[in-house]
Amino acid sequence: MPMKQMLISALSVLTAVLLAGCGKSDSTSSSSSGGSPPEGRQLTVGVAFETLQTEYWVAGFDAIKAELKKRDIKVLEAIADSDSNRQLEQIKNFVTRKVDGIIMVPKDAKTCIPAIRAANDAKIPIVLFNRVADRADVKFVGVQADNLELAKGTVAFMVEQARKTGRKHKALVVMGDLGDLNAIGRRDGFDAAVKGHEDVVEVVARVPSEWNQEKAQAGVVNALQANPDINFLFTSSDFLFPSIVSALKAAGKYKKIGDPGHVILGGFDGDATAWQMMQDGYLDATGVQDVYFEAESSVQALLDLLAGKAVPDLIRDPGFVLTQANMAERKARTWGANVNK
Amino acid sequence: MLKRLLQSEYLILALCVVYFASMAPFAEGFASGENLGNILSAMLPLLVVATGQTLVLITAGIDLSVTSVIALASVTGAMVINGDNGALAGSGFATPAGIFIMLAIGGAIGLLNGIIITGFRMPPFIVTLTGMMFFSGFAIWLTKSKSIYNLPPSFLALGKHTWLAGATALLVAVTGHLLLTRTLLGRWLYAVGHNPKTALISGVPVNRVLILSYVACGLCAGVAAVLITGRLETGSPVHWRSSLLDIIGATVIGGTSLHGGRGKLLWTVFGVLFLTLIDNSLNLLSLSHFSTMMVKGGVILAAALLDSARRRLMGGVG
Repeated sequence: MPMKQMLISALSVLTAVLLAGCGKSDSTSSSSSGGSPPEGRQLTVGVAFETLQTEYWVAGFDAIKAELKKRDIKVLEAIADSDSNRQLEQIKNFVTRKVDGIIMVPKDAKTCIPAIRAANDAKIPIVLFNRVADRADVKFVGVQADNLELAKGTVAFMVEQARKTGRKHKALVVMGDLGDLNAIGRRDGFDAAVKGHEDVVEVVARVPSEWNQEKAQAGVVNALQANPDINFLFTSSDFLFPSIVSALKAAGKYKKIGDPGHVILGGFDGDATAWQMMQDGYLDATGVQDVYFEAESSVQALLDLLAGKAVPDLIRDPGFVLTQANMAERKARTWGANVNK
Repeated sequence: MLKRLLQSEYLILALCVVYFASMAPFAEGFASGENLGNILSAMLPLLVVATGQTLVLITAGIDLSVTSVIALASVTGAMVINGDNGALAGSGFATPAGIFIMLAIGGAIGLLNGIIITGFRMPPFIVTLTGMMFFSGFAIWLTKSKSIYNLPPSFLALGKHTWLAGATALLVAVTGHLLLTRTLLGRWLYAVGHNPKTALISGVPVNRVLILSYVACGLCAGVAAVLITGRLETGSPVHWRSSLLDIIGATVIGGTSLHGGRGKLLWTVFGVLFLTLIDNSLNLLSLSHFSTMMVKGGVILAAALLDSARRRLMGGVG
């Protein structure tokens, strides 16, 4: 095959695709598939999650799918594996498939904006589950735990436990990915709860985990070496507990509540590990996000938007602080207690 | 017959057509004009990075650092030109400066890779692998893992308008094609990939050729950083972190040999198209990401096996 002919054929293929593409991609905004669907037609909702790497997201994903199924709504799923570019492709694919609504967990507050805009342009209502985006110039409904208040409540309970011992405590906080508004809210909640209680709790170490088990473990090991007397630990997510517990065990500091060597432990999420630690008597408190409430609210918000009803921009999940005292009564609402069934 | 099919330039393009035709009835909206636009815009940055990778693979090298180049170039450029606290915030030079910075970072990292590989006779695999770790770590450290937003609209236009991004990608691919087919440097790249010793004896400046291939690869990654940052409207240290397999996979699927000495830009275009079609169609089928990864892994392995089969059929060391 002569080189020239080959090049020409290649260029023509590319140009053809280019032309076909340009012609249509700019006209997406005119094709409205949202609005109110005709009665009797089955609705389709696209569910796009950034990751399924923690139990929380799996539980959320399952809860949303169950909620949609209950209402006889067809589900299209997409997982972006922590890649915002892939997530944008997936949202565009939902638009192509003319879904009636989209529920999305974005990677962070900003990179998801083009994806939200793609849905906005196609007039498809979009709900952000558990993580919200910066408002910028896009429209969406956010359903989110009140990270700050819930973290504050959890840490306040821990401070109370510390005060009861009558001893001064040295605290370590494991933070999340600070590009994630949830991580920021939880850190701020921690700070707000310890503020004014410096007489009982002194923060000696802050470990940035970037939501990564290995980083969390390395950070906690280092902090425990530098400050062997740490006896108060809050993690911004329960999913980091396996690494944290292994670091505590290595330092000989993983002791049950009531033991003089007990490190006051608190977390956030209410996952299965936390539930087990709670049952085994190691964990003092965790701020539980009410996954079921968040899933119901997300689906309801989409339906309300489709019906043309007014929906607030942000729906808050108040969550609750799970402690040894309220474990039994809160079990049904704690997703971590129900995932392994 | 089998031999002819395997040796055909257009094997992958034919597979693309067959795949497209056979998936169209199953994946709803796959053949719609809107979706073709999605496929195209998804292909473009991949094509640009894969162009650079093709040049390096032809020299029997590999550049694993490209994703970290994209990340570092993206955040550095965005840090300088963003409207919140960038040094050039609001300046008319912000967009050209951003493009320049991203390209310069790509070229500089490519140069560094090339110099270490040739100067210390290190395997490209380990040099670029450690480069990937270092530069992506550096990008995260630089930004404290935060994304950078509020970039100038003229910069965003580069990634957002498919025609503009398409023209850029086409320019890069055609330049790569002409470089390989029409220039002395192109012939040297193949010669070095075939057998560096013979090339050296024949008077090819092997080290310089290798360094240039990594610089070109870095520059391509810099261009891709511009497109991706514009498209996602954000400078992020984790852009494209998980796309390395796609980049090398697309090049290898096209037919460029991992053993060096054989490859064409046109093949890479087909490889990129094929991988993008798979990604897009499986996504439309609502297959989970994990199944998509398994399918893609399988296809890339099949392409690598095909590469070996071709080498055997051609009766030689290639």
